[in-house]
Amino acid sequence: MSRGIGYTLAIFFFTIVFSLPLGLLLTFFETSKNPVLCGATKFYVFIMRGTPLMLQLFFIYYGLPFLPVIGKYLAMDRFAAGCIGFILNYAAYFCEIFRGGLLSIDPGQYEAARVLGFSRAQTTAKIIIPQMIKVVLPPTSNETITLVKDTALITTIGITDLLHYSKSLVNSTQSVLPYAVAAVFYLIMTTGLTLLFNKLEKKFRF
Amino acid sequence: MNDSITSDVVIVEHMRKAFGDNEVLRDVSLRVGRGEVVAVIGSSGSGKSTMLRSIIGLERVDGGTVIFEGADLVRDGIYVPEKQQRRILRRMGMVFQHFNLFPHLSVKDNLITAPVTVAKKHKSEAAEKAKELLSKVGLLDKLDAMPSSLSGGQKQRVAIARTLMMEPRVLLFDEPTSALDPELTGEVLEVIRELAADRMTMVIVTHEMTFARDVADRVIFMDNGLIAAEGSPKEIFYDSQNARLDAFLKSFRDR
Repeated sequence: MSRGIGYTLAIFFFTIVFSLPLGLLLTFFETSKNPVLCGATKFYVFIMRGTPLMLQLFFIYYGLPFLPVIGKYLAMDRFAAGCIGFILNYAAYFCEIFRGGLLSIDPGQYEAARVLGFSRAQTTAKIIIPQMIKVVLPPTSNETITLVKDTALITTIGITDLLHYSKSLVNSTQSVLPYAVAAVFYLIMTTGLTLLFNKLEKKFRF
Repeated sequence: MNDSITSDVVIVEHMRKAFGDNEVLRDVSLRVGRGEVVAVIGSSGSGKSTMLRSIIGLERVDGGTVIFEGADLVRDGIYVPEKQQRRILRRMGMVFQHFNLFPHLSVKDNLITAPVTVAKKHKSEAAEKAKELLSKVGLLDKLDAMPSSLSGGQKQRVAIARTLMMEPRVLLFDEPTSALDPELTGEVLEVIRELAADRMTMVIVTHEMTFARDVADRVIFMDNGLIAAEGSPKEIFYDSQNARLDAFLKSFRDR
């Protein structure tokens, strides 16, 4: 069972570490003045949010190898496929959350930064992103807690995560207890995250 | 046309600006001399704020010329390259109606972030200057306060100090007291008065007629995208020959 927890934590960790920056990058693409970049990002978000995550995981792990010509290069191990699916999917959600944060910034902030001589990059790094964080923390916290529970979906592409082990233990021991133990582990993770985000929100209360 | 460049900080010639079909600036020409305080008055929609914002590059003009200390910002509607623009605009400062302090930074950090990030000043040097300017605007005790804990008048005084940190050669004020409760305007106007006494070059868009009369060397009355009248405070407020100006001033007196 501890190996199962390892997989669950690993998927969670990789997804958070890569989807948050990717989501921020997508936000800047989506709000850019370049119509191609903006349109492509909107389409990406449309697909990722509009189809089931499980379908996306199946598509990446079982589907891609059947693509003509390039398919044979796209076969990958279960864990890599799972990580990629989760990162791509969550980046789309984070992109929309961050976009909301970006839109909430008073245009006067950009003007003040401009007349003080800040470059666009300096404005983004020093003025805009710190203010965005305050706005996006609550929805990001929510999404992160959803991710903890969503990791259970990787069972469907055959990764032996926490849910997988608890299910086989239930079968082999003829007891419901392993499910309860799994539930406790998920609860510990979500509670820890809730506390962490509460702390962050306090730090960004200005 | 270069004869007066040494004494004029800002030269605006035939500036035009439209938002869609709405011609906000129709043909505005203006000179601001070094150490001069120019007050700009006029009803809302007359183009005062747009003129100010166009001088400092927050609005892009459709035509005309802006020269700052002898360097073109825009000539006949054509802007110089972005990098050059930023170098020119860095020597101007602006104070906004809604202060636009950075809410996530303390008063001190609001003041030092631009000098440290943009002008590559040493943090300790910038902090010394921040203290000096905060005591000038009477807010040294708010050094570590967050903007959300300040009153409107205090915020605007911090905003003025923040602008002064960059040592601007001209300060533009866009209705600096319009967002303030009436009892808080005095403290902000007092700071601007002191700057005027220091011979800071300033262009002030304002609805405070008494203040404009007292502090300005020259008053500009804008109407319908044009400078309709211009002169000393005495000429504008007491010897006006302009019917629109009379009507505008009368609406103030009747309030």
